[in-house]
Amino acid sequence: MDADRRKILRFIGKGSVLAAFLGQIGAAGRAFFPNVLYEPPSRFKLKRPNDYPNGYTLDAAHRLFVIRQKDAFHVISAICTHLGCNVQWKDTEFDCPCHGSRFNPDGTVISGPAPRPLDWFATTVSPDGFLEVDSATDVARDFRLVIGGKGKA
Amino acid sequence: MGDKIKAFWRKISWAWSPESERESSEAIVKNFWLHWFPAKVARASMDWNYSFWLGTASAALLLILTVTGVMLMFFYVPSTERAYGSIKDLEYAVSFGRLLRNQHRWAAEGMVAIVYIHMARVFFTSAYRGARAINWVVGVILFLATLLLSFTGYLLPWDQLAFWAITVGTSIAKQAPLVGPTIQFILLGGHEIGQQTLLRFYVLHVFFLPVLALVLFGYHMWRVRKDGGLAVIERVRNERAMAPKATPKTKSYSLFGLTPGTSVQVMSSTELEESDQVFSSPNMSRRIALVFLIVFNITLLAALLFNAPLEGLANPSVTPNPAKAPWYFVWLQELVASTTVRMGGFTISGALLGGILLPGFLLAVLTLWPWLDRSPLRTEGRWLAPERKRQNATFAVATLVIIVLIMVGVYLRGPYWRIYWPGQPRPEIPQLY
Repeated sequence: MDADRRKILRFIGKGSVLAAFLGQIGAAGRAFFPNVLYEPPSRFKLKRPNDYPNGYTLDAAHRLFVIRQKDAFHVISAICTHLGCNVQWKDTEFDCPCHGSRFNPDGTVISGPAPRPLDWFATTVSPDGFLEVDSATDVARDFRLVIGGKGKA
Repeated sequence: MGDKIKAFWRKISWAWSPESERESSEAIVKNFWLHWFPAKVARASMDWNYSFWLGTASAALLLILTVTGVMLMFFYVPSTERAYGSIKDLEYAVSFGRLLRNQHRWAAEGMVAIVYIHMARVFFTSAYRGARAINWVVGVILFLATLLLSFTGYLLPWDQLAFWAITVGTSIAKQAPLVGPTIQFILLGGHEIGQQTLLRFYVLHVFFLPVLALVLFGYHMWRVRKDGGLAVIERVRNERAMAPKATPKTKSYSLFGLTPGTSVQVMSSTELEESDQVFSSPNMSRRIALVFLIVFNITLLAALLFNAPLEGLANPSVTPNPAKAPWYFVWLQELVASTTVRMGGFTISGALLGGILLPGFLLAVLTLWPWLDRSPLRTEGRWLAPERKRQNATFAVATLVIIVLIMVGVYLRGPYWRIYWPGQPRPEIPQLY
């Protein structure tokens, strides 16, 4: 009876030290997952629609292409879906300098290691008249932002 | 006065140049720097063309890297704004700063090569059998640590190579099943490459990985002794047709009486014939010193002749075209670029297949090879034993494939990662920075 009590007390004693130790390790590990990120927002403004010529325009700072076909706009990510390098617009296709992926003008894969098409970003016009991109939201490849004669562009 | 200096010099140096056998054995006991060696080692393990002293050369490189690395820490600032400038300062404003950085760089690249060749030597001499299998596994981990040290090292200058290597490296990590995105998040310290990323890789490079490497290095050496020395002594045993001696029983007196058991040095080389052994001091100590000096001089010469590469300041907007990894990772770059599998609507990215699964498989096979090896034990300590023809061929072919992939990546890949044969004109790609 007495021995049992000792056993339990010993178990509680050692166990609590072990638990505290594991908790300490967990806390130290948790610190590596940042709670606050000082990163640019996923929703940001570009230039005014009329600042873009027809065709493919690279916005290097935001790593995306703005594509204008008269009044219709869409935005394709310049980040290769393979391993994250910036693709370049080469006359009729996107080419990646890191591992040689090639993409059609609509972002679908021609060849190379890229596993899926380039992302298309949701695009709107902000109230003050700028193109506004939400890089966290993908849209289908028939998406077009049409800014008609009656529109505010 | 002169006599006094001479006597003092003799007092601190006698252990390195013993004048009698008695002094040789006393040196091991009395000198701290020699005490981890056995008093005697197998004569065969001193051969230059058995081991080529590649492990010693790796240790020399590790020492050079530690010393030059700590020196560089006095000048380097791990901040995204100042890192690149501090490297430029090392090159242009610090006396001999460039030399320091060059030597660190070339020693690092040399270490990747030498550690691999050391591993190849161990493989080709069947030196990982029995208890030595543990040291083989430790060695594989040390090789990995070497690669990780190199990777984290070339990220620190925060040039274009650094930025895009982190981009690609952490994107590969992201492809790991289930835990991938978490690993990428914790490596980057966020979703994007930034100050947290640099700081994390910096601490990995200057603390965690070196400590890991040093601890494992210590264990690696300790195990060499506990396993009786280099595997070549097994060859000597076999040649002398020595039956393994019965394990000596020992008697130790503990507090409670006799403790039965076997002695610690079960596999000691001291059971070799007297004529097969030599004193560690000076036979081994001088050779080690010589190897260290040679390695030091070669890296210094390389540092004098060739400058460590430094690309333009990291620029997230522009990927260099082509963006190439350092030579020892180019074969992986070739793998991730060419192993995407498409079957109908189903796609496995080359990042997963060539970046994680295939290297992981190679690593697993390499680690477990001592247990896959069924060749006879008489091959131990013998170079390219005919009984192991198939095994040796497998290792050689795998190495050759990796070398060919490296050659293709380094010499044939041009803009947009396309193949350009020698002589074929490469398009002019405007470099935007």
